[in-house]
Amino acid sequence: MPSLAAFARPADCEAFREKSGPELVGTEVTSVLQLKNVHKAFSGVPALAGVDAALSENSYVSLLGPSGSGKTTLLRVIAGFDQPDGGEILFAGKRIDSIPPHERGIGFVFQNFALFPHLSVAQNIAFGLSNRAVDPVTDTKIVAAKVRDMIGLVGLSGLEDRAVTQISGGQKQRVALARTLVTEPSMVLLDEPLGALDANLRTRMRGELRTIRERCGVTFLHVTGSETEALAMGDTVLVLDRGRIAQSADAGTLYSRPASADVARFLNCYNIFPGAVSGDAFESPVGRLALGGTRLTSGKQAYAIRYDRVAIRPRDAAAAGDEVRIEASFVASEYSGAAINSFFTLDDGRVFEVETHLSHAAPEAFEEKARYALVWKREDALVFD
Amino acid sequence: MTMAATHHDTSVETAAPPTRKQPDRTALLLAPGVLWMLLFLVAPILMMVYVSFWTQTTFKIEPTLTLKSWVAFFSSETYLGALWTTIRIWLIVLVSTLLVGYPAALFVGLFVKNKTLSTALLVLCVIPFWTSFLIRVLAWRPMLGKEGAINMILMKIGVITQPIEVLLFSELSVIIGMTQIYCVFMVGPIAFMLGRIDPSVIEAAQDLGAGFWRIFRTIILPLSMPGVVVGAIFVSVMVLGEFATSAALSGRKVNLLGNIIVTQVGSLKWAFAAVAGVVLTILMGAVVAALLRVVDLRKEL
Repeated sequence: MPSLAAFARPADCEAFREKSGPELVGTEVTSVLQLKNVHKAFSGVPALAGVDAALSENSYVSLLGPSGSGKTTLLRVIAGFDQPDGGEILFAGKRIDSIPPHERGIGFVFQNFALFPHLSVAQNIAFGLSNRAVDPVTDTKIVAAKVRDMIGLVGLSGLEDRAVTQISGGQKQRVALARTLVTEPSMVLLDEPLGALDANLRTRMRGELRTIRERCGVTFLHVTGSETEALAMGDTVLVLDRGRIAQSADAGTLYSRPASADVARFLNCYNIFPGAVSGDAFESPVGRLALGGTRLTSGKQAYAIRYDRVAIRPRDAAAAGDEVRIEASFVASEYSGAAINSFFTLDDGRVFEVETHLSHAAPEAFEEKARYALVWKREDALVFD
Repeated sequence: MTMAATHHDTSVETAAPPTRKQPDRTALLLAPGVLWMLLFLVAPILMMVYVSFWTQTTFKIEPTLTLKSWVAFFSSETYLGALWTTIRIWLIVLVSTLLVGYPAALFVGLFVKNKTLSTALLVLCVIPFWTSFLIRVLAWRPMLGKEGAINMILMKIGVITQPIEVLLFSELSVIIGMTQIYCVFMVGPIAFMLGRIDPSVIEAAQDLGAGFWRIFRTIILPLSMPGVVVGAIFVSVMVLGEFATSAALSGRKVNLLGNIIVTQVGSLKWAFAAVAGVVLTILMGAVVAALLRVVDLRKEL
């Protein structure tokens, strides 16, 4: 195990902490990065349409967004590779929008790792220390010591002199991370860091990324298009939709209380019906759905029910008083080990998904094209209005 | 006999069916190239080495082996001077094509983000090659001459009062002409290598805190070295074998090994031309071998 003393925080961050010490506690001291109404358009097409967010210090933040939602643009704007058209970016309390990338103290881990192909693992990691314009480390012994500690921290010992073209994807990922962390940034941006890895490795790196972050005590902003990754990784999850932050919450809240039907759709675990509330029911294309669940205020009216809150019953089974019942024909099911996902078509052609956990019951066999009753408790539904 | 033949065929087929066709095809595909090289490269080189030891008299050449031509070459100040001029001009042109070509390649290959535009710019570099070599060389005469464009413009704007005579029919004019003609062979390979650098690698270096010159020295330059070496090989091989540019632009004042060969062949001194040819071939081989030492091209390309 490397000594953690090697990861003393950078001087400027230390100074910031002391300055904004006791008198600011409880106000803004915990946000390391603040975005205020950040705008960016590419040849007239808006990519960021007024992003507001605050990232707390020493935390793992994941940024979830479908492709084209502007997440890479947001990351590049924060890092300084792209200039915002408007708005403010405050980092450790200072405006950084006009500061070049290398003076921001923000590390960036690229999706394709962007390792220096002509340098060895150790040389890649040492690059920032010895080549940075501000306060370069000229003593080769100090550089070597820091690199050695960092190689130990990310678990690359023994590969120091390997060419980066001769190591595996997971090892490249570690080099990319180590190369950034060794410069002691106050924050690290990760652009779909696990996207280039195979599924097995991805799951293992999730845990490692969290552990490494905890040891270094810096804020990670992890961009991903995968809802499971965002929920698993983030202490806080930001949902980016059409250039705006649609929701900022912890994983549990996000999953059970998405702020809008769109957020619910990204989470990929809700059946969503359009329509409108009328009286004591929600008027949807498949009929009237009795109200009784959580009502949430959002721009667009919608009715959402989680995949795993729905029961599949024979067509002749009646619903209890507190239940909502619709009918649908079975299409197919998908077995994923611990659960089975069954797909139904509703009368209006819409696909309805039901997730059944197999820990308590063996999978039932359903007949293709046969009609079934889909039933859920009124209180389990989310109604947006 | 029919029986025997059939038996033979089947035994071959069962013994090694997958590898049977492979050697045939390899030999077939290689044959034209190998044959061509043997006939038109290896044989002439061997012939040249052989002829360089023949006995040369004023009017004829005999296949009696002698060292006379070699001794004459290495004891003549003219020929050693030509060898030295060739090396000097090659080095100067190599450096000047690199100095002019690298920034141009940097612009085309790295700073122009639009791939279509950078291809278009590279094509622009090649446009001078749409005219003949001789025209390109001779076009420098009205440019560099005593009453040429450059002297006239400089005199008009009052920078000089007397025309600069050294511009034409001098070593300088040969260097200017060669640099212009061969520069594109330097730009092309370098721009190609620079274009292959992943832009995020440079952004990563920026993000790690390095300024432009640091990034250039530690990332861009090393990654473009294979291009520099390939460009240098192109330029070297062409400049070392040059004779037309120096003949047209130096007024016969600059004699390269190429010019010596042309003159000797012209006066039917085959043995002497062969000696110069062997010296030139050895020189080119040494230069290419040295350049290949700089970068392991097999690894990089």
